[in-house]
Amino acid sequence: MHLSDDDIVRSISAHSPEGIEALYDRYGGLAHTVALRILGDRGAAEDVVQESFLAVWRRAATFQAGRGSLRAWICTIVRNRAIDRLRGDRHRTRLDTPMEGESIEPAVSDPWAAVALELSGQEVRKALDELPAEQRQTIELAYYAGYSQSEIATKMEVPLGTVKGRVRIALDKLRTSLADRLETPWPTQ
Amino acid sequence: MADPMSCEEATDLLALDAVGALEASDRDLIERHVATCESCKRAAAQYADLASLLPAALEVAPPPARLRRRLMAQVYAEATASARLPWWRRVLAAIPASRTFTAVGAVAVVAAIVFGIFALAGRNASPPPVAYTVSGTTATGTLAVNTAGTQAVLTVKGLAALPSTEAYEVWLIPPRGSPKGVAFLSPGLGGGPWTAVVPGSLAGYKSIAATVEPAGGSPTPSNTEVLSGQLGES
Repeated sequence: MHLSDDDIVRSISAHSPEGIEALYDRYGGLAHTVALRILGDRGAAEDVVQESFLAVWRRAATFQAGRGSLRAWICTIVRNRAIDRLRGDRHRTRLDTPMEGESIEPAVSDPWAAVALELSGQEVRKALDELPAEQRQTIELAYYAGYSQSEIATKMEVPLGTVKGRVRIALDKLRTSLADRLETPWPTQ
Repeated sequence: MADPMSCEEATDLLALDAVGALEASDRDLIERHVATCESCKRAAAQYADLASLLPAALEVAPPPARLRRRLMAQVYAEATASARLPWWRRVLAAIPASRTFTAVGAVAVVAAIVFGIFALAGRNASPPPVAYTVSGTTATGTLAVNTAGTQAVLTVKGLAALPSTEAYEVWLIPPRGSPKGVAFLSPGLGGGPWTAVVPGSLAGYKSIAATVEPAGGSPTPSNTEVLSGQLGES
């Protein structure tokens, strides 16, 4: 039986082990890929993936799913934990930490699952390759190495405002470029 | 207090946040703005979704099968333990631990407990996971079956470490006929309990047991049981 992302969200919010199982089966590969890219160590990546899914399980009834799709949500949790481990910084507070707060809301997720399925890795790579090198490098320093805006500015020897502009322009270009490759309309929230 | 941030400025910060580069000092500002601005709330979700596509460019690194087994063993063990807690412990466990216990918090806890009685009364209408006790000379444990009855997790404490040439093999024993080898127990991280996922239904089996076998397993048990448990009444 095919479960939609919304079915999985409902199952998790009911604190059902089968919900976590379905979440892992759908996004465990993605989570492991992200953690391994950031940490470069198989053991540490496995620990981070396990910790992330257990955190979802233990705070199932209180997580905040209104901020994006289920895919984005699990990506954010795994990325943040992997970056924390990479940097040894367990005290950063983030807008996207979803373990406390509002009750679960049905995620607007299925259009995004369709987008993710329709886009091949090659298409996303191509869209990233089309970005100017400095924009791509800015995104990678942030997303995979966990550098903040000011750290990136120092590392790349550019003003803070330039970093801000590069990230926004890069994401906007990515959106346009990926939307052009889709048969289905780009989802709106 | 008036929101000092324009949507243009907020969008820059939302893009930074989506890739994880937002400065901690900007977080309050952007949270305050997003709380009152629907279009920026939508932009936040769109940037987050877009950032989640970045890993699609990576070569996929499938996780090893042991990670799924380890995760689900822990989840089912915790589901079983939780089902055995009294209702008030389950309600307290659902309240975020790090939230400051202020006077307002205290009121919220009381409300949550009162609400929890009704909520749990409803939840109790569905059966909790079934759990069986297993034990041996030094070992004790639990076999927790998921509510669908399609999978179980064996969690055991008190087993000795084994050399790499040996393993604890788990057997399901029917009323008649040979025991069926179904899983191997894996040691927990940092000396935690041993766990094994037992796939499939337990219907048709009278008991479960574990024995020490060569690392690759044996067709039938070749040593004395180190633990066993009946699969009748839980």
